[in-house]
Amino acid sequence: MTLLTIFLMALITFTTRYLFIHPRLPVRLGAKMAKFLSFSAPAVLTAIWVPIIFVQQGQLSVSLHNPYLIAATFSVLAAAKSKSIYLTMLVGLITFVLSRYILTL
Amino acid sequence: MTLTKRRARWLMAKKGFLDMLPLNLAVLPWGILCGSLAIQRDFTVLEAILMPLIVFAGSVQLVSIELIANNASLATVLFTSFIISSRHFLYGLALRDKLKVLPTKWRYGVGFLLTDELFALSGHRKACVGQLRLIYAAVAGGSFYVFWLLWNVVGVIAGSYLPDLTHLGLDFAIAVTFIALVIPTIINLPILVTVLTAGLLSVLFKLMQFELDLVAAALMAMYCGYLTERFQQKRRDEKAKIDDISHKVKEKS
Repeated sequence: MTLLTIFLMALITFTTRYLFIHPRLPVRLGAKMAKFLSFSAPAVLTAIWVPIIFVQQGQLSVSLHNPYLIAATFSVLAAAKSKSIYLTMLVGLITFVLSRYILTL
Repeated sequence: MTLTKRRARWLMAKKGFLDMLPLNLAVLPWGILCGSLAIQRDFTVLEAILMPLIVFAGSVQLVSIELIANNASLATVLFTSFIISSRHFLYGLALRDKLKVLPTKWRYGVGFLLTDELFALSGHRKACVGQLRLIYAAVAGGSFYVFWLLWNVVGVIAGSYLPDLTHLGLDFAIAVTFIALVIPTIINLPILVTVLTAGLLSVLFKLMQFELDLVAAALMAMYCGYLTERFQQKRRDEKAKIDDISHKVKEKS
């Protein structure tokens, strides 16, 4: 049963990725639509990461007791300043581990 | 030194690998979490490995493992997977004109590999156009697949020895990766508006427990970015017109 579920899930994830690049699909994108879609990367990626930071167990968490928020603040600054993906990740992980540790003292 | 075809291909493959490398490393905790969680929730080794092998989607894997372990109905599992995965429709649409012309084999290949991470590296105007850029995408996306599988397998092997990792804050690794990817791309006002709107609405929709939270927030944010750009364009056009008229008036007088 679980095997069947996994195969069907694979079908779903592949279909969502593949459907709109299929040439036979009768979809034509105009210049306006292309412009609109050019904003998809910042929009989707942001809509993934911001709730991880601000929503904990279904509750809004905007306080200095939220290690996600502290570490994310430093990460955003590091990313804006350095534009380096490695440095941002390093700063983020160190501040996250540190603030989690300090907050549980 | 002249750049031979072979060397150019090699360089593009290397660049694809190196560009994806930080993301491959960043999903380590997430992959181990997915693999070990499957074992801890009584999946067989085969089932646990089929997840990254054919489903190949972090958040779908994580959520569906919990649903299946809690005996949710097949319809619930599939519908939830569809909702979580529906953001990929946007990626396909955004890359449609570049990918639909590819030979069948490549199209299926890049389509299968089209994760958040590969899409994030496909922002270039000419992404996936021409053999070299296609090699770049295939190596970047392919290496992500291999690493994702590897981390999951590590999780499956270590699974029964590891404590429950779900409350360790491993999701922060995902957040910081996307921060590192998104923040440097904010180079103008329309993108800034897009990011701010997406952040605000996604939190709001999440708190409202709206099922299509991610996609709805993203679509509205994209529209705000689009409107900002149109507004800027209009102002530029008007300014050009006024400049033009005042120039003509000066010439006459």
